[in-house]
Amino acid sequence: MLSEIAFYGALETGLIYGLVAFGIYLSFRVLDFPDLTVDGSFPLGAAVAAVLILEGWNPWVATGFAALAGMAAGAVTAILNVKLNILNLLASILTMIALYSINLRIMGRPNIALLTEETVLTPWYSLGLEFHQVPVILFLIVVVISLILLWRFMKSETGLAMRATGANARMARAQGIATGGMIILGVALSNGLVGMAGALFAQSQGAADVTMGVGVIVIGLASLIGGEAVLTPSSVLRALIACVIGAIMYRLAIAFALNADALGLQAQDLNLITAVLVTLAIVLPGVRTNLTNRFSRNKA
Amino acid sequence: MISATDLRLTFGKGTPLENPALRGMSLTVNQGEFVTVIGSNGAGKSTFLNALAGEVLVDSGQIIVDNLDVTRLPTHKRSARVARVFQDPLAGTCENLSIEENLALAIKRGKRRGLTSAVKKQYLEKFRDSLSSLKLGLEKRLGDKMGLLSGGQRQAVSLLMASLTPSSILLLDEHTAALDPKTASFVLELTTKIIEEQKLTALMVTHSMKQALEVGSRTVMLHQGQVVFDIAGKDREGLDVKDLLGLFEKQRGLEVDDDSLLLG
Repeated sequence: MLSEIAFYGALETGLIYGLVAFGIYLSFRVLDFPDLTVDGSFPLGAAVAAVLILEGWNPWVATGFAALAGMAAGAVTAILNVKLNILNLLASILTMIALYSINLRIMGRPNIALLTEETVLTPWYSLGLEFHQVPVILFLIVVVISLILLWRFMKSETGLAMRATGANARMARAQGIATGGMIILGVALSNGLVGMAGALFAQSQGAADVTMGVGVIVIGLASLIGGEAVLTPSSVLRALIACVIGAIMYRLAIAFALNADALGLQAQDLNLITAVLVTLAIVLPGVRTNLTNRFSRNKA
Repeated sequence: MISATDLRLTFGKGTPLENPALRGMSLTVNQGEFVTVIGSNGAGKSTFLNALAGEVLVDSGQIIVDNLDVTRLPTHKRSARVARVFQDPLAGTCENLSIEENLALAIKRGKRRGLTSAVKKQYLEKFRDSLSSLKLGLEKRLGDKMGLLSGGQRQAVSLLMASLTPSSILLLDEHTAALDPKTASFVLELTTKIIEEQKLTALMVTHSMKQALEVGSRTVMLHQGQVVFDIAGKDREGLDVKDLLGLFEKQRGLEVDDDSLLLG
């Protein structure tokens, strides 16, 4: 079984990855734009926040700038695609690679420790809550606020135009929507969320590291697909809730796998487990439909 | 009023597949006219419509819509003036958005989109009113996904969407061609009704000579990227498909070898 610490730890990272999943929902699902920039914008957010916090900035302001940096990175990817006609996937890989250098430049070294610095979490520890629950409560609040804002946005005129852009670009243009602009805005928003997630992750883990972005895209996709398997995304609200559920489920599954001594798994097996979980999440819904069909056919 | 002057457009210029689609096409459509456009495959009908809509930009020539030169403007900047219904019933609507969301997109055609709620309460009555005029019972299904509707229903909604806000011209690109005969005649009836009621200026491309003569007030035939004849008013009354073919042959000194024009 999971220890209490491991359980809250899984919830904490799960909530942060919920923000990543929101971002990936925006790019992959809403805009149909396979965007790998997130592997670079996640550590970018962490780097910007860490440097600003070291400089003595307010950690929330630092987190805000991290989100802005993420948005800028996303905008670069989208502009490469929209204005320079580079294939979307390739454009995002270019930005992601460039960000590796940029992140090293921003930090000036491969990692920055934040353990002794004041972070967004610091004031909450003095409220008398249980130590391990503090990050969970704070990040839950952040995720719920982001979810509501994002949901309202998707229901707005601009949000609807963005959804139409991803679903049927020709129709969107005929309705007077500047589809290129919508793609730039959407991918920027997506990476802004991921940059914010990176900033919060660095503060909760006590360090920013240039390699912390590796595989963020896979984990985010795993959360998105896993969540969709549990909660059919028939509306925007359900899709967003599914993102959070998926991210937490994923983290809990990883925690269980690593904690179950019988399985003999160790921390270095993480990426292998991720790949297996993503495969299962993609394949299982199909298997379920197959089985249901078979059973209903037998009955008939 | 819209006027297209000497439009020229060649696809794949400088390649072995070079294809001159428009070769000096000129056409002026006056306010309130309903023009039907016919022509064989490759005559440039769809390219002409795409050029008017902005989906393709012409190599040379000029397009003026209500005193505004739109020749170089992209689609979305023309959309306030140019409304459109596509041939493919799936192309004019978004299947994973609800009916009311699709209509909400259309009510803002060519206008600024802000951060206020897209489906506003004050729209709903207008949506229900226009949907009930279709007599398909869709006014009770505002929240349903567009994908649940049949091709004919979706094409009918596309028509509504195109006429929800005023436009200088409505472009109909063989919008009944992909439907079964019964649905096609329903959509065509609806088209003429909407155009008459709202006194719209419209340009309808069709593959069927019969249809081209039955509806509208003027018929234009395209051939090899040019207008070969243009009839309206008294000359057009009482004309049948045979006369039209005779006219075409006389004009061009050509034999029409495209069966689809005869059979349509």
